Amino acid sequence: MNSLIFLLVRSGINSFLELLRKPAKLVLWLFLVSLLIGLFVLTLFTQKSGDAIADIVWLKGALMLLLLIFAVISVQKGLSNGDVIFDMNDVNLLFVSPVSSRKILMYGILRMAKMALLAGFFILFQSNSLSSNFGVGFWAVFLVLLAFVLAVSLLQIVSLLIYSLSNGKPKRKRKVRILTSIVLLPLAVSLAVALVRTGDPLLAAENTLKAPVASWTPVVGWAAEGVVSIISGNTGTGLMFFGLILITGALLILYIAFSNPDYYEDVLVATETTFEKKRGLSEGQINAEARSGKKVKIAGMGIGGLGANTIFYKHWREAFRAGTLGFWGMSSIFTVCGAILMSLFVRKSGGNGILVLLQTLMWLQVFLIGTGRGLKELYMHYIYLIPESSFRKILWSNFEIAFKVLTESIVIFLAAGLILKASFVMTLASAAVYVLFSFLLLGINYLSLRWTGADISNGLMVFLYMIAVFLIMLPGLAAAIVIGTMVEGIGVLLGLTVLALWEWGAGMGCFWLSKGVLHRCDIPVMKTVK
Amino acid sequence: MIDVLDMTKKYGKFTANDSLTLSVDKGELAILLGPNGAGKSTLIKSVCGLLRFQGEIKIGRHANHTVEAKRLLGYVPEFPVLYPMLTVAEHLEFIAKAYRLDHWEKRAEELLARFELDDKKKKLGKELSKGMQQKVSVCCALLPQPQAVIFDEPLVGLDPHGIRELKGVIAELRDSGCALLVSTHMIESMEENWDVTYIMVSGRIERVCRRADIGADQSLADLYFSITEGKEKGAIL
Repeated sequence: MNSLIFLLVRSGINSFLELLRKPAKLVLWLFLVSLLIGLFVLTLFTQKSGDAIADIVWLKGALMLLLLIFAVISVQKGLSNGDVIFDMNDVNLLFVSPVSSRKILMYGILRMAKMALLAGFFILFQSNSLSSNFGVGFWAVFLVLLAFVLAVSLLQIVSLLIYSLSNGKPKRKRKVRILTSIVLLPLAVSLAVALVRTGDPLLAAENTLKAPVASWTPVVGWAAEGVVSIISGNTGTGLMFFGLILITGALLILYIAFSNPDYYEDVLVATETTFEKKRGLSEGQINAEARSGKKVKIAGMGIGGLGANTIFYKHWREAFRAGTLGFWGMSSIFTVCGAILMSLFVRKSGGNGILVLLQTLMWLQVFLIGTGRGLKELYMHYIYLIPESSFRKILWSNFEIAFKVLTESIVIFLAAGLILKASFVMTLASAAVYVLFSFLLLGINYLSLRWTGADISNGLMVFLYMIAVFLIMLPGLAAAIVIGTMVEGIGVLLGLTVLALWEWGAGMGCFWLSKGVLHRCDIPVMKTVK
Repeated sequence: MIDVLDMTKKYGKFTANDSLTLSVDKGELAILLGPNGAGKSTLIKSVCGLLRFQGEIKIGRHANHTVEAKRLLGYVPEFPVLYPMLTVAEHLEFIAKAYRLDHWEKRAEELLARFELDDKKKKLGKELSKGMQQKVSVCCALLPQPQAVIFDEPLVGLDPHGIRELKGVIAELRDSGCALLVSTHMIESMEENWDVTYIMVSGRIERVCRRADIGADQSLADLYFSITEGKEKGAIL
């Protein structure tokens, strides 16, 4: 058998066998598949009809926006290290073997498509929202996934080509940036003109998305138009756009293969960088700053404190050195700006807009809480060896995230309260629920590490964490909803107070249960997937 | 000073360390040898309190998780992990303040000079090569003047100067009464100074050997191969 086909087939078989040998992983996959089937069944009952269905053009817009993000990332990667289409074992074993470099390139691109398929797996879970918002069936979700895989694969080839052509050539890099801007210029101009004409951002976006300029925007427009055309019954047009992606991809592959058969050097930097990143993670270096090529200006020097509180002063120094905003990173800026924008948006809808905002912020916090430096300390040996009590070390190592959450909540809820004209007590209660929810999430994070010892895959860890958040919050939420609906007038306020108290109690419980995380638990190791 | 008593470490059904017992006295250099996967790093991490285990581990008669034990212990990990946003000097300052050390500046200067890091004090952790990071890691471990030091593959990644200096430091620490436990694959590098060798195979200590136990014509490498491969070989390492 051809060695490359053998590699692909054998890797697939071995991955499946490994899955069978790891019951936890198998259960997770079975759960995901069951969830997909459940969503499919739900789709059959939630399809809307008539006026309730949103214009399909918004699906096109959402898909274009998603792919645009991938396009920007791909171009950026192409201009820096190139995209990763090979693993280090390919470099060490395949590149030196007497196998045609063109065949190896095809093998790399096939693997890349597999990665794009995995990256697009989340799309399958959107069946219910696609069905309820656009009245499309489950098959449309597969169509969106197909478009996503095709577009992302093509973008990765573009990224490889950009790197191959512009590596070490600043002038060419500038040309690539200009060309990328030119490609997107018609869409931007069209949107600006529509905005000037209508004065309504939503109407302007709708008109632009319906115009041919959006459909013919390379890759992102082609993929989105392909999906929308087929869903709308214009199968021929849809297939034409999908065909356009395939032909462009094939031409680019042919160009790379025949113009530059010695492309190994072009993929080497990205492969080695990714390998080093994975190795660093498994060795305990989980700080993203370690892998950043950003030039750091060393202004102030030194670390304050004594004993356990030195950890906080260290975080202070690290945070302000990483960015002028200190404890407030870009995530804080995005959160605050997003919250203000959302407040402006929900202002018109009336009702308890601040509750809608609170709910969204709490969802975000589920994922953002893990970015604190305190939790990252657990992956390095220093905090375990410092001769201070575990309690003091945990306390001081989380001061940074506590400060961040507190200041964020003050700014967010002060602004939102003013925009939404919420009462002071209501604003205060919402802020308390948000801050104490963060406290609870921190406790659940420690508890997850304490109980699992982090000796499970990252996917399973996140899954268990989400389940734990859901289960722990459920009684508090249920009590808050019951009280909120039973009591007239101040019901919502009472409900929020009950929820805040529950979060405080549950958070304390989690911290109590996770006590000894520094001496009754294995140092966690970041599991890296291939 | 370092006492491991009937220590077992399991990962699920896999036993990484099986009922290990060892001790390292003051002024003693103990070498931990064994093939890959023998359980050396697991033992070292357990001694340092980074892993939970069954059994007992004491540092200077204190259970290894206590504050008193941590005050006596220094650890040089296999993979040096530094804080990317701290300079070399700040790493030492962080350790000094976290350990509540007095008058640490002079010792820090000496350590940095010894490992040729004195001109790199303002370099960030992320700007250093692997070897440099290893040197900073050694300086951090030695700054609190611990009475027991654990080294996990300390020579890997060091340049010849670094290797020479570290070997010198290890000898000096031993002479000053420090208990040393060193895990290494570079058997030759420890030939001169070792006092006791623990040879591990498949999670168990297969042989404990004191320097006096082996003949004048036998090297540490001969001993190692006789245990791990069942026959004596020349010192080919």
